[in-house]
Amino acid sequence: MTNTHIAATGLPFIVRRFLHGVSLMLGVTFVSFLLMVYFGPDKTYELLGKNPTSTQISEVRHTLGYDQPFLLRYGNYLKELLTLDLGLSDSTGEEVKSILTRTLPISIALVLPGFVLGNIIGLLLGMLAAWYRGRWLDKLLMSASVVGMSVSFLIIIIGLQILLCTPYGLNLFPVRGWQVHDLPSYLYYVTVPTLALLLVTLGYNTRFYRAVMVEEIDREHILTLKAYGTSPVELLFKHVLKNSLIPVITRIMFSVPFVLVSGSLLLESYFGIPGIGLVTFNAITSGDQPILKAVVGLTGLLFVLALMLTDILYSAVDPRVTRQ
Amino acid sequence: MLKKNQYAILLVLLIVGGCGEPPATGGSAPAKIYKHAMDGAPGSLDPAQAASIYANFLVVNLYDTLYRYKYLARPYELTPNLATAMPEVSADGLHLTIRIREGVYFNDDPAFKDGIGREVTAQDFVYSIKRHFDPDTRAQGAWLWQQKIEGLDQWKAEGSDHAQVVSGLRAVDDFTIQITLTRPFPQLVHTLTQGYAAIVAREAVEKYGQALSSHPVGSGPFRLLSRDSIRAVLTKNPEFRAEAFNLEAEGYDPETQGELGLAVLQNKVPPFVDQLEIEFITEDAARWNAFSANEIHFIKVPVSQFDTVLSQRDPLRLSPRFDGAYHFEAWPETGFIYLNFNMADERIGYHSDPLQNQRNHALRCAMIKAFDWKKRNEIFFYGIGQVFPGIIPTAVTEYDAGGSDAYIHRDLRAASEFLSANGWNSENLPVLDYGFPNSVTERQIFEQFRSFMMDIGYPADKIRPQIFATYGDYQRAYSQGKVTLINTSWTMDYPDMENIMQLYYGPNAAPGSNSASYRNPAYDRLYEASSALHESPQRTQIYREMNQLLMDDCVSISGISRTLLFLWDKKAIMKPDRSFVGGYFMRFVDLPEPSATP
Repeated sequence: MTNTHIAATGLPFIVRRFLHGVSLMLGVTFVSFLLMVYFGPDKTYELLGKNPTSTQISEVRHTLGYDQPFLLRYGNYLKELLTLDLGLSDSTGEEVKSILTRTLPISIALVLPGFVLGNIIGLLLGMLAAWYRGRWLDKLLMSASVVGMSVSFLIIIIGLQILLCTPYGLNLFPVRGWQVHDLPSYLYYVTVPTLALLLVTLGYNTRFYRAVMVEEIDREHILTLKAYGTSPVELLFKHVLKNSLIPVITRIMFSVPFVLVSGSLLLESYFGIPGIGLVTFNAITSGDQPILKAVVGLTGLLFVLALMLTDILYSAVDPRVTRQ
Repeated sequence: MLKKNQYAILLVLLIVGGCGEPPATGGSAPAKIYKHAMDGAPGSLDPAQAASIYANFLVVNLYDTLYRYKYLARPYELTPNLATAMPEVSADGLHLTIRIREGVYFNDDPAFKDGIGREVTAQDFVYSIKRHFDPDTRAQGAWLWQQKIEGLDQWKAEGSDHAQVVSGLRAVDDFTIQITLTRPFPQLVHTLTQGYAAIVAREAVEKYGQALSSHPVGSGPFRLLSRDSIRAVLTKNPEFRAEAFNLEAEGYDPETQGELGLAVLQNKVPPFVDQLEIEFITEDAARWNAFSANEIHFIKVPVSQFDTVLSQRDPLRLSPRFDGAYHFEAWPETGFIYLNFNMADERIGYHSDPLQNQRNHALRCAMIKAFDWKKRNEIFFYGIGQVFPGIIPTAVTEYDAGGSDAYIHRDLRAASEFLSANGWNSENLPVLDYGFPNSVTERQIFEQFRSFMMDIGYPADKIRPQIFATYGDYQRAYSQGKVTLINTSWTMDYPDMENIMQLYYGPNAAPGSNSASYRNPAYDRLYEASSALHESPQRTQIYREMNQLLMDDCVSISGISRTLLFLWDKKAIMKPDRSFVGGYFMRFVDLPEPSATP
């Protein structure tokens, strides 16, 4: 690709996406802040002592900044996001930035193996089911997927804990904790949560990827390739998968922010893992606005980045997207 | 390049490598680690904000207080902690002099000159209490001393200037505190056992500001090593004052406590363990699984596991499966759960029209008669909760065991008569809003309440659920009088019934703790008359009269105290407590030397 070509197509496209992303961020932060202020939990009464007077109520509202005009608060919020000066948690008094930098890597390390394996295995099983569409293997995989989708995440977690982590079962892994400092300790703590995540996501992934692959397998050029005698592996990986990448990328990219910020809540809660999901949940239930604001901002940013990255990946796998 | 089957072997090895014993941490592990589970997490660790039972639990281990409760004495008894003795009190009960120990130091911290902790003084105590009256602190404990310590409220009104002296709260010298009260306040020493009254250093407050809540600088038996959303790790404070443990002084009773193995602690110097790991596990199933896997030494047994743990309810008996390895204790909660009528709501409370006022009174009484405590206890408290009439729980000495239980006895006929005699029928009964924070259990409790009321002909659609996202939102609503039926609970702050009787004192009406906004001059007079009295037969009589007034006025559907079950590993030598001793017991926990641990 020549420099002229980049200037004519790639760069303006990226800039366009960036500007679009900025406006999206403003919209996301405004709406979420509006909801937080007018419909979100009020921390005042949790921070008051017993027998509060109206003066004490006003004092706490003042320290929380609840008595400031909405636009001023929103302006401060944007400033906090831009400067990354996210303030202190209303509950623990810890710096929000330090909470995020401590918990986000843990959540990523927790869900990454399950997320990656869930998508890879789901993709492979989806391809297998699509290839054998209507036959017993397809039926078996789809039935298993429905079973996996039907069982509650909570049941899977508790069941695996009993089975793998207590003396009533194999007692091989810990019920709770995250004292990770090397690969063996990482595997020790991450295995059961990963299995739980795999079990709960595999059904959804397999069914989705099968549907995508079935649509592609039905196309005329695949039939032609089959007629040429192309091997199934080459056919599936080189032609079917490649041409299905747009929906695959969309699904994976848009799962990332969700998985990072909120998708690991149950895992963190039940396995005692101090990640960002649990912190977010606690902030929602207690009305800890500094944390909520930061997480909402972060989620918005991740979605915007995912959107931009997705568009760029679209253009990489299908150049027609850029030209449009 | 690896072949396909080599990749497979590598993968299996990786997974297998993660199994089995926990990996070594690489450092030298502390000798004794006590692992405790709590069913909630603390918020702030700043003593001024130690409002929850969880925060208090940690704060009293990180900071010093002047007094605490004896570890083993039941009923609870006060004993000096940082103070050298109980206070010297003047004859009129208004002047108290307290001396504190010399040679006690704050933990080393950059907040201090050269990073070395300085000696704790009487001025630190004065400063710590004054912080509650400084709006910048966002403190939650001012209610304990409001209108009670001379000059303190005025000091706040004048701008909370720490350079200004409060006449009723003074450090006479570095180790002597003088407190002057506006009126006799027998419960003062109890308030000085609270996490709220823990002693902070001004330098630390000034250095860390609001972040002090995650960066404690105290002089308690432990120091904070780490803390996140699921766990706090505390390490033994090597500088903590060396005082030998004395069984007798702590109220040891060999008859009831002999089997706990506490006798071996005599003359040892606490804290006995090197590290505390306190797990915050809110989910019952996860807490139980962690206990089953021996990852924690202690658990408050979830109600869902009562059937597993108990072989018999009356009397309570531990299942033989647990008997060998665990100690067990059933503990009646020092607090209660009750449902207040909002007396400020004309639909059911006070009414300007005397006739309607009387009809509302009859309606409340009918609803109390329709309430089925037996079923409530059976369904939600495993049938082992303690039901009692009014607001004097069974766990306190003022409880009248021989008194009538008519107030908590379901009587549908009497309830219907109350209604019909006062002209109430399904057409004219008022619509009532029953408030609760969003949870499945709260919803179930509401539905049961509604079914009880339907038994006396109350239409289901006239008792509406009013659901709030968080407890804070719910509290705001009922504090502002926007809830008609207020389902709530009270945990005693200190072992003195005054702490409960104030719940219906008129001046404490919403937004205060009198959420019913009950106003009865007779009740208020009795409360004020009793406020100067220590626990005594005379005061008990007054409290029982007050309780009767509440029942006659049909102010509340009350009440039940939960029975909590504690289970702990027999290797842990301790008597756990979730009440007034609370976190103080942690300094007295001991474990076998690690080499002797199987």
